Amino acid sequence: MVASELGQYVATGLLVGGVYALMSIGLALIFGIMRVVNFAQGDFMMLGMYLTFYYAVALGIDPLLGALLSIPPFFVLGLLVHRAFLTRVTGGGDPNREMDAQLILTLGLSLVITNATTMILSPMPRAINAPYATRAFEVGPLLLNQARSYSFAIALLLAGAVYVFLTRTDLGKALRAAADDPEAAGYQGIDVRRMHGVAFGIGIALVAAAGGLLATYHPIEPNVAVNFIVLMFVAVVLGGLGSIPGAFVGGIVIGLVQSLTLLLLPLQLQNVGVFVAFLIVLYVRPQGLFGRRARSV
Amino acid sequence: MPRDRGWLGIAAVVAVGLVLSLALTERYHHRILTLVLLWATMGLAWNVISGYAGQISFGHQAFFGIGAYVTVLLAAKLHLTPWLGMLGGAGVAVLAAVLIGAPTFRLAGIYFGLATLAYPLIFRILMDFLGYQEVAIPMVRDHPVLFMQFEEPRTFDLLALALLAATLVLSRLIETSRLGYSLRAIKENEQAAEAMGVDAFRCKMAAYVLSAAPAALAGAIYAHAILFVVTPDGVFGVIAIVQTLTVCLVGGVGTLWGPVIGAAIMIPISEILDTTAGDRFPGIQGVVYGATLMAIMMWAPEGLFWRLRRRPASIARATPVATAPGTAEAPVTAPAAPGPVLLEVRGISKAFIGLQALSEVSFDVREGEILGIIGPNGAGKTTLFNVLNGFLLPDRGEVRWGGAPITGLQPHVVCRRGIGRTFQVVRFFPHLTVLENVLVGAFAHGAAPAAARERARASLGQVGLAGQADTLPAGLTTLELRLMELARGLATSPRLVLLDEPLAGLSADGVELMAVMIRRTRAAGVTVVIIEHTIQALVKLADRLVVLDHGRRLAEGAPGEVTRNPAVIEAYLGKRWLARHAPNHAATLQP
Amino acid sequence: MLRLSNLSVSYGGLRALEDVSLEVNEGEFVAIVGPNGAGKTTLLKAISGSARVGGGRLEYRGRDLTPLPPHQRAALGIAHVPEGRRIFPSLTVMENLELGSYRRAARGRRAEGLESVMTLFPVLQERRQQAAGSLSGGEQQMLALGRGLMAAPELLLLDEPSQGLAPRIVEQIFETIDRIRRASNLTILLVEQRVVEALELCDRGYVLETGRVALEGTHAALLADPRVQRAYLGA
Repeated sequence: MVASELGQYVATGLLVGGVYALMSIGLALIFGIMRVVNFAQGDFMMLGMYLTFYYAVALGIDPLLGALLSIPPFFVLGLLVHRAFLTRVTGGGDPNREMDAQLILTLGLSLVITNATTMILSPMPRAINAPYATRAFEVGPLLLNQARSYSFAIALLLAGAVYVFLTRTDLGKALRAAADDPEAAGYQGIDVRRMHGVAFGIGIALVAAAGGLLATYHPIEPNVAVNFIVLMFVAVVLGGLGSIPGAFVGGIVIGLVQSLTLLLLPLQLQNVGVFVAFLIVLYVRPQGLFGRRARSV
Repeated sequence: MPRDRGWLGIAAVVAVGLVLSLALTERYHHRILTLVLLWATMGLAWNVISGYAGQISFGHQAFFGIGAYVTVLLAAKLHLTPWLGMLGGAGVAVLAAVLIGAPTFRLAGIYFGLATLAYPLIFRILMDFLGYQEVAIPMVRDHPVLFMQFEEPRTFDLLALALLAATLVLSRLIETSRLGYSLRAIKENEQAAEAMGVDAFRCKMAAYVLSAAPAALAGAIYAHAILFVVTPDGVFGVIAIVQTLTVCLVGGVGTLWGPVIGAAIMIPISEILDTTAGDRFPGIQGVVYGATLMAIMMWAPEGLFWRLRRRPASIARATPVATAPGTAEAPVTAPAAPGPVLLEVRGISKAFIGLQALSEVSFDVREGEILGIIGPNGAGKTTLFNVLNGFLLPDRGEVRWGGAPITGLQPHVVCRRGIGRTFQVVRFFPHLTVLENVLVGAFAHGAAPAAARERARASLGQVGLAGQADTLPAGLTTLELRLMELARGLATSPRLVLLDEPLAGLSADGVELMAVMIRRTRAAGVTVVIIEHTIQALVKLADRLVVLDHGRRLAEGAPGEVTRNPAVIEAYLGKRWLARHAPNHAATLQP
Repeated sequence: MLRLSNLSVSYGGLRALEDVSLEVNEGEFVAIVGPNGAGKTTLLKAISGSARVGGGRLEYRGRDLTPLPPHQRAALGIAHVPEGRRIFPSLTVMENLELGSYRRAARGRRAEGLESVMTLFPVLQERRQQAAGSLSGGEQQMLALGRGLMAAPELLLLDEPSQGLAPRIVEQIFETIDRIRRASNLTILLVEQRVVEALELCDRGYVLETGRVALEGTHAALLADPRVQRAYLGA
């Protein structure tokens, strides 16, 4: 195998991994701060793809910009969903029962979103035919698809923005404090329940934006979530449940694993490599790379 | 009696199924009936591992799919009759359960659920890849019945009904057996279960294996009755697990009626919706299932069955504990001369990150005594119990029981050797009677339910709760719950029992009564070791006290001596208090 | 300023406090002592809002606190320095302190708050960019205290500041508390297991035993009272 061929796989894996990383950060934020495993994460991503499609087709807005414009409405949606549904299954006492209840609630939400979308919009796949989806940059011997490259760049930018938010703003620090120790956070005057809502809102907004970016090169259909939700989970577990930088790294790694699996296995089995990696991580090092031991899962 | 009602109930369900099967005429109705029966079976199977044992599995469709594929492939490739092929499918599913369960049960909490997610996904991809995207059931002209191909749709109902009946019987047997009680104990509090003699890993494996077989059989029948063409998505896909989850969650988790009720309600609704509105609104089934799951989680997370059952408050309470027969005449036996040494604790040290919880702790426990372990700081005492019990391995030191070393033995083994334990926070089984709550411990020395019930009843009698045996624990006071916890520990027929803060949070009367029960326990021949914060009561109750301070054994002796020991006073109140109030004592202590 | 009347609190299914009445007047330093399990920590949790009150009244400046969740009580100026420090381990020392002044009334005074806390605890200045989880026990206690002070509180609740610390550090901590008291005339409610240190610092004290107030009095009276010992040792 020529080095450049390997390099191509690596490059593609990285580019794709960047968008996975953005998706996973959203999931990790929600888990890290609220201890909720959001099964519906992929479905919100799907909705983000549709919104970006709408921006592009009805308003003529470039999907890369459309992805960014998805952030405010989805943040609000996240706040509403948290208030309407999630608050009704938390604060009950037994954390194990609670986690099960949240899992099933978000599973139900996922079903509702996917199927309602199928009902309302047709199940026919759509695509945004962005001109740069079929062009590529030539970097030495490597061909970097333009859509994926732009998406990668914006994903990194957004991840960076999240980082700045969490480390330099009062609200961001309050979120991290609520994750570290909710009781002590309350003593500082932090409204932990509101923090949960904010975390959920940001998590949904990020994954919707990731969906918008994905829409520049991936077909849009109601069932698209199922291909990505497991990737997100694997990325988050790999990085360490609750660690946001971990999720970022996890996303990149998953992109690479997925891409490099093609060296050994046919396209059909691409995700098997990912699932096997998932199981290995769970069995060998469940806390992942950067997992926090402070609070037990 | 709840027991007989169970079998009657099963018979009733089967009878209803039979009647419906014979009465319905339209093919479409039979299809719905078959589906109800199959998903109820699947729900029951899931219930064994996720309802009773509380290990929520998101991958049970793996077994469903294995059953379908193995059976159909054997028929298609080897012309093996599905009647036998089904058993092969169940066998493969059981094997898969063992292989999946062994590593996965070692994962805690949510990691278990996530891991179970992965398997059906892998199988789905594999089947696709192996070229089995569409495996049609071979049409056989000569002996259709031999290949499970029936003209008459009624036959499938009856087949599914037979499977449901068998699974109901299996569930019932589990519910009333030692395994069932052990599983429920594991769900409530795995640690406490271990301390009562339950080998958690083996029980979980047993439950998983038992839950795999019916799922596989259901899958096999589903393939023949409904699908006709087996696809990866059809059997390993999301819809299978969603139906299973919904059926159980709506109907009721942890009971055999739940999946039956849930299936009877949800399946007809969704099928009818699908046929009437499914064309115009593709996906309506999914929306209904999803919305139902959400609604249930928000408003009735335990399911309809538990919601509808009579609430415990309406059950008349038997004589309250204080006047229960036997309490008044509890003789305050003067402690007999202490017997031989039962438990030897030698040089136990245990450190956690940044904290030396125990440091060279040594003492003996003699048969027949009540030994109190006290100390001004929290950490050491509970850590000590956890070492004695087998929950923690000490860094150094040894524990000997009746002369034999027991350091590092697993908690359920320690329990079976005769050391019982209670826990401070009583996690009871809300849907079982007080007697059944105590039953888990009674199974520690024997699997026969009748004998275990006797033992459980006897230990309830010992603590004065005999009158409450058939009530639900939700109606008990804190004191009564503590007594129930004591009874649970005693039901394991221990020679020595470790009581973890039995007096905390009780009123003065409660403390008195608890103390009486503890003395009674000793009088019945069980040696008692108690951890307590509240010294006042222990001073009157214990024969001897061991004082731990910062993980070290500070003093040991009769309560009167210990409370006057200057080193102990210093540990509790500080050096300067000692200097003020007992200056001559202070002078004798090292600086 | 703070009044508890016949307060009963259950925590974790146990009856932790029974019929407790006490008060803290503005500018006073009140200590609550008693053995482990007496309910001292639950008392502070009831005041700051993480333990639910089962019966009785809890009033702050005449206002009933019971319907307010913890973050709203903190906003009123009640700063709780919890048992076991409970600093935010993944945040830096600086970030911990900044969050101390999260409540609106304190945010404006953040800069001067930081300056005075750093002067009081020079080691925090040194370690300001370090993750709080990597600090030693004594340093974490100082950080917790500093974080509490950053809230520019009206009422400071201190929960067992000496817990788990070496004797020399404990002395330092108590000295610092004394210094804080003298400098600012803050109203302080201290819960402690170390009897003498706590009683020496305070104006008045209460002795809790199995969820009830067993003794109360001025610090001098309690220091001299042998009955305090009985509360701990039963004899």
